[in-house]
Amino acid sequence: MSAAPQSRAVRNELPMAGDAAVPFVEIEALRSREFIPAAKEALTSMIAEQGQSKLIRPVFNWAGRNSLFPLHWGLACCAIEFAAAFGARWDAERFGVVPRSSPRQCDLMIVNGTVTWKVAHKLITLYEQMPEPKWVIAMGNCATGGGPFRTAYSVVPGVDKLVPVDVYIAGCPPRPEAMLDGILRLEDLIRLRKE
Amino acid sequence: MTSAPAPSVLWPDLLGDALVALEPMEGTSGRIRFRADAAERVFRAVHDAGFHHLTMVGGIDWVDHREVIYTLWSDERKSYLFLTTELPADHPSIATATKVWPSANWHEREAWEMVDIHFEGHPDLRHLLMPDGYEFHPLLRSFKLHEPEDLEVKVRHV
Amino acid sequence: MSEMWINMGPQHPMTHGLWNLRVRIDGELILDVDPEMGYLHRGIEKISEDRHYNEVVTLMDRTCYVAGMAWEHLYILGAEQALHIRPPERAEYIRTMSEEFQRIASHIMWYAAFVQDLGLMSPFLYGMRDRDLLLDLFQSYTGARMTYEYMRVGGVRNDLPHGFTDRARKVLDWLMERFKEYDQLCMGSDIFRRRCDGLGVLSAQDCIDYGVTGPMLRSAGVARDLRKDRPYSVYGQVDFDVARATTADVTGRYLVRMEEMRQSVRILRQVLDWLDRNPGPVMAENLPRWLGAPYAPIGREGYLLKREYPKGVGFAAIEEPHGEAAVYVVNEGGEHPYRVKFRSPVYVNLSAARKYLVGYHVADIPPIMGSVDVCVGESDR
Repeated sequence: MSAAPQSRAVRNELPMAGDAAVPFVEIEALRSREFIPAAKEALTSMIAEQGQSKLIRPVFNWAGRNSLFPLHWGLACCAIEFAAAFGARWDAERFGVVPRSSPRQCDLMIVNGTVTWKVAHKLITLYEQMPEPKWVIAMGNCATGGGPFRTAYSVVPGVDKLVPVDVYIAGCPPRPEAMLDGILRLEDLIRLRKE
Repeated sequence: MTSAPAPSVLWPDLLGDALVALEPMEGTSGRIRFRADAAERVFRAVHDAGFHHLTMVGGIDWVDHREVIYTLWSDERKSYLFLTTELPADHPSIATATKVWPSANWHEREAWEMVDIHFEGHPDLRHLLMPDGYEFHPLLRSFKLHEPEDLEVKVRHV
Repeated sequence: MSEMWINMGPQHPMTHGLWNLRVRIDGELILDVDPEMGYLHRGIEKISEDRHYNEVVTLMDRTCYVAGMAWEHLYILGAEQALHIRPPERAEYIRTMSEEFQRIASHIMWYAAFVQDLGLMSPFLYGMRDRDLLLDLFQSYTGARMTYEYMRVGGVRNDLPHGFTDRARKVLDWLMERFKEYDQLCMGSDIFRRRCDGLGVLSAQDCIDYGVTGPMLRSAGVARDLRKDRPYSVYGQVDFDVARATTADVTGRYLVRMEEMRQSVRILRQVLDWLDRNPGPVMAENLPRWLGAPYAPIGREGYLLKREYPKGVGFAAIEEPHGEAAVYVVNEGGEHPYRVKFRSPVYVNLSAARKYLVGYHVADIPPIMGSVDVCVGESDR
């Protein structure tokens, strides 16, 4: 943070609760005609030093975690609890989570159900079609480790054999509250992203 | 469960030498064992006797032979009927039932896929539930699943 | 000529499940269809051969996840016939009650997804809200919202809690009012009628030829309902009517399912009255010891009393919310079933897709496939 005196200054904080703060610009500088060059110089020096990590990255993290768009996709029983979470009782959309039909518009893939070898290729294709940054939540026991069907000949024992998984939600099926808890844990993870 | 008037007196006349045995089954019209080589004749006779709805075609692997079970329903008699036949394990082949009951199409595809029973005359015998090119027939007894001991189990003592 | 095959699925908001509908289209006109299944094939029949009879029940909930109690009931009826075990009467009434509640829940889920495909967004929320009331009832006596694992060979796991029947009656009264609202939203909507009337026609003869059952068959005028034609459990002792329509189109199927929900409420009222008047055991006496035993603790395999048990074959068929479901259980005297073969109504209804999709337009696919009520878990097993 550049050395600006904190007294008698206008504090101007972006809504990131301690992650970053725009440096202060002195009140005298505000009143004077040197405000713009002063602000510009303060900001430039701050961005040059640590703007990426203290200013830009937190904004992106905040925006990203509050608008996770999952893929509108259901594999098996957990998809019914996924759909119930979007009902009026456990309104998932209040977290900014809006299911999108096209993977090109998504940043979250919730794998909710048993993954079979037949669908594995399509799942990886969908994952690769999602733009960066993207996250995967393995919802339910089947996506975590094959679930009750782990010994079956056609079942992939866990979707982490196919795509990297960020959050695992246990349950068979997990209740809608558990799914929302998993999404909130993912939001915590995104908050800590550094690059 | 209603039990329909058992028409067992009619079957030997209708099926002739294709009939191997007749067994009663609780709550149904019974179970007819027939000879596999007379399959088309048996299907046509059973269909014309009023069993217009084919419920399912299932295959069972008894290691030294395979069994195909046809389950049929008749709206007039309001009752189920079973047709079963045994096929030798080295040549499990039987005529298709799709000419008589078109609904047999997918049932026979699955029976071939799972238990390796070949249905002659089937219009489209290819994989349905498994990916194309899958070489195995999973429901054969010789196809073993993973043993539970092979899977990792972590036991935590508290 | 602009013919091409396009894939609708396995990831598609319309499909309600993991399957692929390949359509050959010329512009917007459908020339041919080829449904591609198997994306959710989990080998349930093969896994069942390694499970105890009671452990297969856990797989049944997952087979058809919107109609779990119905599939549990189906398998248990087949297993009990194969094992020569009869449940007590109170257990049969509880099973019937569970199946009818599940029928209403399944039809509400169908309704919510079906109308959402047509563009009606609010009924989806109303449907999910009402279905949650039923799931709360299920949770109160089984402990789970969807995967109950409640029925056992010989009865059910536990009896109903105190005050359950009063709560259930309140829910039924609420639902009867809501069905009127659902009808207003759909049958009173000109857009719905013009989109759905005369669409996806599958004639009665085609239904019978292609093995199509359930609301699709009854919408074509054939009054086949296994609960009436071959009563199982306690359906022979309750009064209800079979829902029928004559138009064989999407609207007809909609009407049949709405009427089935009302008839289910009627059955449930009678069953709840009986349950109030007749307390009793919910599990059969003198079950074989290995039937109720879980896996033996390691090192104490002698705990399971292994002995030869009489062989048998069990067949059961129920009128599941999607149609006629059947099971064939082969019991060769061991602790595990030798073979369990299921017949799924959705599997067969989808096989007739050529008959009710060809000739319509691509925009007609969501209403038609919605009216077929696809649940891929039971179709692929």
